[in-house]
Amino acid sequence: MALLELREVQSAYGKVQALKGVSLEVQAGEVVTLLGANGAGKSTTLRTISALVSPTHGDVLFDGKSIAHTKPEDIVKLGIAHVPEGRRIFPGLTVTENIMIGTCARGRLSRAQMNAEVEDMFEIFPDLKRLSTALGWSLSGGQQQMLAVARGLMSKPKLLLLDEPSLGLAPIIVQQLFATIRTIRARGTTVLLVEQNAHMALSVADRGYVMVTGSITVQGTPEQLLNNEEVRAAYLGGHA
Amino acid sequence: MRRLPLFLLLAALLPVLPYFIKVSPYALNMLMQVSTYAVVVLGMTVVLGYTGQISLAQATFFGLGAYAVGLGTTDWGMSFWLSLALGVAAATLAGFILGLTTLRLKGHYLAMITISFQQIFDLVLTNWIGFTHGPDGIAGINRPSLFGLSLADDRAYLLLCMAVLYAAIYFVWQLPQTELGRAMRAVRENELAAEVTGIDSLKIKVIAFTMSATLAGLGGALYAAGFAYISPDNFNFARSIEFLTMVLLGGAQSAFGSALGTSLLILLPEWLRFLKEVYMAVYGLAVILIMVFLPTGIWGLFVAWRAKYRKIGKIDTTNIEPLSIQIPVDKAAPILVLDNLHKHFGGVRAVDGISLEVSRGMIHALIGPNGSGKTTILNVLNGIYSATEGSIVCDDVNITQMKPHERAALGIGRTFQNIRLFPSLSVVENVMVGAQRANTPREPGRAALRTRALSALQFVGMAEEAEVIVQNLPYGHQRLVEIARALAGYPKFLLLDEPAAGLNQTEKKSLATLLKKLKTHGITIFLIEHDMSLIQEVSDRITVLNFGKKIAEGEPAYVLRHPEVMAAYLGETTHGAA
Repeated sequence: MALLELREVQSAYGKVQALKGVSLEVQAGEVVTLLGANGAGKSTTLRTISALVSPTHGDVLFDGKSIAHTKPEDIVKLGIAHVPEGRRIFPGLTVTENIMIGTCARGRLSRAQMNAEVEDMFEIFPDLKRLSTALGWSLSGGQQQMLAVARGLMSKPKLLLLDEPSLGLAPIIVQQLFATIRTIRARGTTVLLVEQNAHMALSVADRGYVMVTGSITVQGTPEQLLNNEEVRAAYLGGHA
Repeated sequence: MRRLPLFLLLAALLPVLPYFIKVSPYALNMLMQVSTYAVVVLGMTVVLGYTGQISLAQATFFGLGAYAVGLGTTDWGMSFWLSLALGVAAATLAGFILGLTTLRLKGHYLAMITISFQQIFDLVLTNWIGFTHGPDGIAGINRPSLFGLSLADDRAYLLLCMAVLYAAIYFVWQLPQTELGRAMRAVRENELAAEVTGIDSLKIKVIAFTMSATLAGLGGALYAAGFAYISPDNFNFARSIEFLTMVLLGGAQSAFGSALGTSLLILLPEWLRFLKEVYMAVYGLAVILIMVFLPTGIWGLFVAWRAKYRKIGKIDTTNIEPLSIQIPVDKAAPILVLDNLHKHFGGVRAVDGISLEVSRGMIHALIGPNGSGKTTILNVLNGIYSATEGSIVCDDVNITQMKPHERAALGIGRTFQNIRLFPSLSVVENVMVGAQRANTPREPGRAALRTRALSALQFVGMAEEAEVIVQNLPYGHQRLVEIARALAGYPKFLLLDEPAAGLNQTEKKSLATLLKKLKTHGITIFLIEHDMSLIQEVSDRITVLNFGKKIAEGEPAYVLRHPEVMAAYLGETTHGAA
């Protein structure tokens, strides 16, 4: 049984139909990536999974149970963490506090364990360690992005939804980030990744789906997608 | 629009009706109160609804108008019309002075100051008995005559009040579609972006505040003669709160909403009188419920309903004029010279002594690790931050001390890393705000602005989305709209902060084409970006920062193989397509 399954999901913002019957599966332990142009519905798919948008039709199953009509705060408790695009961090809290907030859904942790896990994050993002007492708002855009990803990782989710984690990060940090995605996958976390940097995304993914205007058009392994002429033309910048 | 004649007929009928059917004097009084208050509340629409500034002193300006008519027609023996002019002038002047001195403040600070101003006014009215008659108030205020016709009759005077109200509604209703009104809404939506787009936000806020005071003074003058008696109780803080409630209840962003809110808040207590002892409690509860369930006011409900069934206008993209923009690259001198630029935040040296030159008509890239000070440099260039030390010379003008909108007026355009559009405005309106900056060769008029905006949208490939509310666009498309907003203002120097973020590789290719096309138009581009293939493709020159200092500069082939740059920024060899 798949960890996550979307069956013919439709979602809309007002009159605008954003998802027109999306079906996809994510097996436990997989990294799956969702590719597509701007406005194809990739972010909406993630938002529907984490119940920020409720589907008008179809069903979302997590661990075999329907979560289509669960509240967003309960979704987190089930073990789904969503790192949205656009750096939603807490501006008035320090970097360390921002990271710790990620553990909220896991119940009480001992201070020692909390500190150890924060240190883990500092290992992944050394820049954040230097800034551990700085307030969120004072970080540069890229640093805020790192912080948002670190906070998502702290919830130790079964399923991590990442929406464009590499946005605004320096190339060297992007390389570290994708190395981190490999690490968390090795630790047993399943990842559903939306990413514009398709080459990078496919380099860590087991499988990928391509979305066009609210529907899934192509799916396959990274090799299949990289060799698909249409996919290359539309999302990989033609002849790479 | 087809129903306009019907509305006009209804509107004309309402004040004339009392001549044909018998209406009790009490009801006439209610209507008079509604019509004069509504003029005051329309002022709140301008200042709060359109411009997003909180004012809790509206009853003060209302009082200035009323007392001018009260004292003018009784103590000073002036005519009603002269006193009315005096009252409106006094309110306008007070609004202008209060606005000019306080509108640098925001949110709750502004609220506190306006409350204090209101309290002072209340104390003066009550305690300066020799001048204002104190708590006793002023009685026996006479009604005027107009062209020899006496307006002493309730019905005739109501006719005057309604005529003024309709004129005020019309004025406030059409305001958002004017350049001034669009600038007000831009300030409300994102003050910083408005400044950088060329709007003098302080000026716009002062104008809005002054307009609001003028309307309040007008309402007050009419009110005084309407009720023949005024006293300080009518103009205290509680009344200001009542005006605020009226505008929020009806819908702060619409002229019709204010009129509706005013009517409802005056008439509701009357309709509830049958509840006897508990009627005020029920009234309070009704207000709370409306506020909780209709955060955009009652009119907002109507607007949402209309938006649901309205078809989004289709734009004929084939007939859009190509964007006319050609900047002469006629001088050899660099367009931008930074000399020993510093920006410190407390002890943090975000920019630590940067000197650099950007050549005319070039694409110059600024790269470096996250937090190395790239965006800070753009913010100092724009005037969002002031430089701690050093100088900035743009096109032979020293701009180091200039305000953001003054720099925009020189032709410096900008996009933001974390997108700063005016979220609830449509795509084309966003770009029109960019098109209306000062010192451009555009033709006057709304049609020319719209044409210009559509051309800019067409240039970035977003013309089809012109009528969509911009916050409903996906992230990458919002970036393109931001570029169009900058282009509409004829920039000679364009600052782009991570324009490729959120675009996929194919979209990045078209962005590269777009940037190169802009270069052929003579626009100089100063660009922050992390996408190395884009940088390699478009840039003529690259400057690399680390910890606020320049670590390398030169042509792409040299800089991208620089060992220090590779260690601090690029990491392992660059991916050809990454």
